Amino acid sequence: MDVAEARAAPAVAALPIRRRRGAWAAFARHLLRDPYALIGISIYAIFVVVGLTAPWLAPYDPMEILFTADGGLAASLPPSADHWLGTTNLGRDIVSQLVMGTQPSLIVGLSAAVAVASIGTVVGLLAGYFGGAVDQVLMRVTDIVLGLPFLPFVIVVTALLGPELQNIVFAVAVLLWPNAARVIRSQVLTLSQRQFVEAARVTGAGEWRILFVHVAPSVLPFSALYGAFAVGWAILTQASIAFLGFGDSSAISWGTMLQDAYASQALDRGQYFWFLPAGFCIVLVVLAGFLVSRGYEDLLFPKLRDDT
Amino acid sequence: MTELLAVRDLAVAYANGAVHAVDGANLSVRRGGMLGLVGESGCGKTTLARALMGVLPGGARITRGEARLDGTDLVALSPAARRARLWRDLAFVPQTAMSALDPVYRLRDQMREVLCDRGGLSRTAADARAVELFEAVGLHPSRLADYPHQFSGGMRQRAAIALALALKPKLVIADEPVTALDVIVQRQVLDTFRSLSTDLGLSAIIVTHDISVVAYLCDQVAVMYAGRVVEHGPANAVLEQPSHPYTMGLMNAFPDLESDEAVLAPIEGSPPPLSDPPPGCRFAPRCPFAEAVCTREVPPAVAVTPDHWAACHRTPEAAALRPRARDPLTWRGVAEATA
Amino acid sequence: MPYLIRRLLQMAFVLWAVATIVFLMFRLMPGDPSAAFIDPTFTVEQQQAVRAQFGLDRPLPQQYLIYLGNLLHGEFGLSFRQRQPVLGMVLEVLPNTLLLTLTALLIAYAFGTLLGALMAWKRGGRFEAISVPLVLTTRAAPEFWVGMVMLAIFAFGLGWLPSGGANVAGAQYASEWDRILSLDYLRHLALPALTLAIYLQGLPALLMRSSMLEVMREEFVTMARMKGLPERTIMLRHAARNALLPLVTAFALGFGQSVGGNVVVENVFSWPGLGRLLAEAIANSDYPLAQCAFLLIALVLVLMNFLADLLYGLLDPRVAHGRG
Repeated sequence: MDVAEARAAPAVAALPIRRRRGAWAAFARHLLRDPYALIGISIYAIFVVVGLTAPWLAPYDPMEILFTADGGLAASLPPSADHWLGTTNLGRDIVSQLVMGTQPSLIVGLSAAVAVASIGTVVGLLAGYFGGAVDQVLMRVTDIVLGLPFLPFVIVVTALLGPELQNIVFAVAVLLWPNAARVIRSQVLTLSQRQFVEAARVTGAGEWRILFVHVAPSVLPFSALYGAFAVGWAILTQASIAFLGFGDSSAISWGTMLQDAYASQALDRGQYFWFLPAGFCIVLVVLAGFLVSRGYEDLLFPKLRDDT
Repeated sequence: MTELLAVRDLAVAYANGAVHAVDGANLSVRRGGMLGLVGESGCGKTTLARALMGVLPGGARITRGEARLDGTDLVALSPAARRARLWRDLAFVPQTAMSALDPVYRLRDQMREVLCDRGGLSRTAADARAVELFEAVGLHPSRLADYPHQFSGGMRQRAAIALALALKPKLVIADEPVTALDVIVQRQVLDTFRSLSTDLGLSAIIVTHDISVVAYLCDQVAVMYAGRVVEHGPANAVLEQPSHPYTMGLMNAFPDLESDEAVLAPIEGSPPPLSDPPPGCRFAPRCPFAEAVCTREVPPAVAVTPDHWAACHRTPEAAALRPRARDPLTWRGVAEATA
Repeated sequence: MPYLIRRLLQMAFVLWAVATIVFLMFRLMPGDPSAAFIDPTFTVEQQQAVRAQFGLDRPLPQQYLIYLGNLLHGEFGLSFRQRQPVLGMVLEVLPNTLLLTLTALLIAYAFGTLLGALMAWKRGGRFEAISVPLVLTTRAAPEFWVGMVMLAIFAFGLGWLPSGGANVAGAQYASEWDRILSLDYLRHLALPALTLAIYLQGLPALLMRSSMLEVMREEFVTMARMKGLPERTIMLRHAARNALLPLVTAFALGFGQSVGGNVVVENVFSWPGLGRLLAEAIANSDYPLAQCAFLLIALVLVLMNFLADLLYGLLDPRVAHGRG
């Protein structure tokens, strides 16, 4: 290697790192400037705090059957100072269920996000950078996944592997990663033509080094975006599976609460305080993800930005 | 020939008045005449053309001046009255007809839209007129059944011209009508304009950065620099005997039209930022003939002949400056010296 | 290779791959698929006869080939529970699902397209500031929960509409058409269709908005303005018409996805459709029935994906001719 080239290398190699900082800094600025994103982040923060402290926050054991002072079953009580949202038809405290139900939703949402983002990023990087067979396989797999009906597939997978949360996450990840991989692939395709990658190649950097040190940091914001999309999908899917009765019935979640309310004729009796709050919680968490990723999406795909 | 359009001191501001893309432009178009509006990209010629059409991008507006078409000031009209005149009095030929024609409608439907909705013709009358128009621009009427993407670049441009002529407008404004085309097709489209001018007495403003287009097509020319018209007059007079130093420099940048000797001497430096233009003459920082007065006072329009003027303090000396301007050495180092 | 043939081959490949995935999934299901047919009183020989009848005594690759052959002949087997061909059971409920999906999509796309066009037209104003978060909220709401709220209000609270099923119990109709065209059927359809539509309208609304914002920056919209056309005409005839293209594709894709996505809503409203059949079959371990329902849902999905591609080509003259 020429001396001049060797000296030029460090300066060139610094470029992608600056780029990466640029992208994350833009992300942070966007969060602070966009009021919707700020609301989304705040909602997330509240639910994460509630989820982490749920065992201490919940006034009762969510599965405990409660009795009134005169010894009767505390069934279907209206909201009161003791039970802010009343009790279920079997005398369980609804607020406690709601608080404890935060945990499975967050676990499912976050682990699906991590799974989708990491699989999508790795496959997208390989397919975009090396092309050829990996690329072909990725394209065909995406075609197949588009031919699998979403919820029926998750139902069958839970019937096959068991109702535990990790199986729901697995099924959701199987269905969502190819989309992320495809977008990251096309990003890599444009990036590999860029000068800093060419420069790194000229300086003799190995292909793997170029891929993970120079290219990967620039596509991470896209991984984050697709991870954020996965949060909402996973939470909605877990709730639907639980509602359909294919979930883990021993663990309290918002979905099982709603299934319980539905099966126990809470609708018939007009017990709105039983089935409205759990639904609102799901809406809020999923909406928070939309609010954060929406503006961020504009940032990454400026074509859609409305500047007129 | 009488004056059809008179633009006086027209100014267009972007970004809440902080930047003036057009800042006090004057020009006039004669009835039946073709005016070439020339200048480098970014000099404001496209903004001026769009301002005359009354369709400026978001955030831009006319801040002062007037544009009288047949005596009526377009700038002073209410939006509704303005819109009523669009396409009937003033029509537009875009730079790229590909993006300017709606891709999902056949040309016949695009003709009908203009002829029926704006011209009040019946469908049958409109279809007959569309055939006439296509023939006038040298397109086979059967092509009216085609979609824009089925046309070649030159044909598309001619279709756009036919659309512009639909309502017999008093004035057609063409924004770089041949820039996107290759040379041979350019010639065909220019010939279309030429025959429309001689056969129909078309009045037009041809916005272009290409002096050879002006030389081929126009009887009048207006030269724009940094948001203002700096020289205005009969095309042969301005091109052969330029009186503004900028026009002289511009002519140097093109191969000589008459003789074969190619003196290519570019004007050094770049146009001033429109957000912060220099006081006085805007060309002064790049002008080899600039004097103290040029950096202080905005030069007035000085008549060379009754219908030829230049906005330069040294216009009376133009004949003496012209030979010096042909020498590339005159231009060397001017921009750095004044920067 | 011509586009159509390439696309057909791709579809055949996807169908084969999905059928294979289904085979593997259901073959790995817990429990012996023949267990439902075997009485505790059966002798070992009798048990083996039943297993042979299902081909379960053969090696897996051979079973796979038999399975593929059966699919090609439209043989989907017998229901464990009902002891009748599953295909008939599935086809019987298919019209209900298709009708529900179509009704919901029509409501959703009519409303969503208008809403999206309005959001783009009135961009930057109060209308957009309110409607965008509202649309996002409908996309974030679980369908079954929206369905529960609808039931609580309109069926149980106000008593306006029935709470489930497709027809009043015991009603007799001369033909399937009479049943579907009855007012009773429509009353049963209203709530599930509306619930689905509330969720589905978000996509066309957001898609139309961004598509139209993009079109509004096109030169031909500026030209329409120069032609002195009224703003309404510019927005409807030029901006909205051009912005519609991606929505037609989305409609076809949405149809394919909803047929499977209806599972939850069909269960909330006890709507006798494919999704409800699938959920019940899985809950009852009736694997042949579940497998057949799943395959049919997947088939509709793949066909609609294919149709969406074709429609896109047909509707956009540029694409249509470019591919010709």
